[in-house]
Amino acid sequence: MHVIIFSWEYPPRVVGQLSIYVSKLSAQLVNNKLDVDVVTYDDTIKGQSKEPTGVKTFRVTNPVKTHIGVLTWVLTLNQEVERAAASIYYDSKKQIDLIDVFDWHFIPAAVTLKNGLKLPFVYSVESIEDHRSPNSNTSYNMAIKSIEWLGFYEASKVNVKSEWMKDEVIRIYNVPEEKITVVSPDSNDWIKGMLKIYRKMAEEKQNER
Amino acid sequence: MKDKLSVMMLTWEYPPRVIGGISPHIYFLSKHLVKQDVKVYVVTCDFPGAPAHEVIDGVEVYRIDSYKNPSPDFATWVYLMNMNMQKETAAITRKLSDEIDVFHAHDWLVANAGIGLKHIFRKPLFVTMHSTEMGRRDGLHTTTEKMIHETEAWLTYEAWKVICCSDYMIGHVRYAFGLPNDKLVMVPNGVNIHNYEVPFDFRDFRKKFALPEEKIVLFVGRLVYEKGIHVLINAVPKILSKVNAKFIIVGSGYMKEQLLNIVRSMGLEHKVLFQGFLDEASLLKLQRIADVSVVPSLFEPFGIVALEAMAAQSPVVASDTGGLSEIIEHDETGIKVYPNNPDSLAWGITKVLLDENFAKQLRDNAYKRVQEKYDWATIAQQTKRIYQGVIKEYSKSFWA
Repeated sequence: MHVIIFSWEYPPRVVGQLSIYVSKLSAQLVNNKLDVDVVTYDDTIKGQSKEPTGVKTFRVTNPVKTHIGVLTWVLTLNQEVERAAASIYYDSKKQIDLIDVFDWHFIPAAVTLKNGLKLPFVYSVESIEDHRSPNSNTSYNMAIKSIEWLGFYEASKVNVKSEWMKDEVIRIYNVPEEKITVVSPDSNDWIKGMLKIYRKMAEEKQNER
Repeated sequence: MKDKLSVMMLTWEYPPRVIGGISPHIYFLSKHLVKQDVKVYVVTCDFPGAPAHEVIDGVEVYRIDSYKNPSPDFATWVYLMNMNMQKETAAITRKLSDEIDVFHAHDWLVANAGIGLKHIFRKPLFVTMHSTEMGRRDGLHTTTEKMIHETEAWLTYEAWKVICCSDYMIGHVRYAFGLPNDKLVMVPNGVNIHNYEVPFDFRDFRKKFALPEEKIVLFVGRLVYEKGIHVLINAVPKILSKVNAKFIIVGSGYMKEQLLNIVRSMGLEHKVLFQGFLDEASLLKLQRIADVSVVPSLFEPFGIVALEAMAAQSPVVASDTGGLSEIIEHDETGIKVYPNNPDSLAWGITKVLLDENFAKQLRDNAYKRVQEKYDWATIAQQTKRIYQGVIKEYSKSFWA
């Protein structure tokens, strides 16, 4: 099985806890004999490399350096993410099973790749805008929420880390319950849980053919 | 290879959505490419009442939901709109399987969509740079302007060929983005002469705009700094001291209030008519009855209004800048004046209005020039040849 992971942070770039989590997850997936590419952002390191863990990384930088806000920065970065993912896709003779997207940043790329190349994606939720900026309904926050909504709508599966987050995603975004999986990173069955989701998605993709 | 060439055009405006010159440009280019046996798809923003999919003159037009996402400002709206355009176009392209040969983007307004689609489908990307942020703003002053400039640079970098509509624009784009010469191609803009052949009662139509003894001076364009409308307003009293005229200003923009105030303070409200937007049929008529058409732009990549006036057989007075310098041959097909100079502009307009024989000579020469050089069929042929050249190069690349 071949998985591409999208995350806006990956070591050595550490912004929050996502970076370390994605690094742990990708290494564990390789241990379980998965082919794993991580597409991530970094402004000083660029291009493809292979980690000692066996995880392949593709780091992109933003082609547009001047920005008026996080939103424009994220939106112009997405085409570079698409370029990286398309390269991995064509280099692996189109044998990609799924994309795992962490948070909203690279949802636009995942949605386009799904529509253009039929690559299904799972939306892994770390946090949502409604929690990060409570009671904020400026057009800026609403734009981010609309991208999150697009992700929930287009994703084949939505993966969250707790039952509480599952309830929140249902409450705020009306995501159908059967679309959501809960895998706690603290549980002993964590990696098994992740593999189960990926296998299910890969199976569904096979059946579609 | 398939026998028919297939192009996917990306644009933020296509009729009935008309904001600037890109909309009519793509309308005519696409229509004439179809006549050259090219299959053309256009993906554009939605417009109230216009269907999501329709076939216009053989062109497959798709309109996407462009106001789906709340946006804090125009630039962010553009990037969000691109997200939706890209998603929709990706789905359309996939359904057509291998049909699309090239993507053709028009201006930075569809940069992200064009670049993303190029990589996802691994097909050549073309861009027509109708304008640049640097030119529109006369430099780069704000963060937004720099961001747009860098987006334009990125788009021209990703494109296989960059098409510009005048030699002036080729030079400007090469300088603005540091592009190699062999990446740039010049294809002029075109104008449809047949638009101006509908018969109507000149005298009757004229009555709506001016008194019989008044000459009509026409300006058509957005009321923004780069179009130099303030130069014309400043020239008004100078012209009126020599000849009785009515100034008709068609178009709208952020400078409107400011200009109205100046006209009011000069006490010339009865001489200057701010018409706002005008339906196309009336505009075409107005261009035909105008005694002079003025294009006082400070920055003009091409200057389609001048070409339209020439096709409408209205004598043209234009500033000697950008693409206008190439379209107008001084004293032959029009009059060129110093840019941003009300005295020079007033001189040019007065000269045309006072000398009817000279005006007629300009009309006739200009009309002939338009027929020879700015015909859409010729332009579509040139564009098709550019596509074919790149497809040949592409077929030897590892993407093919």
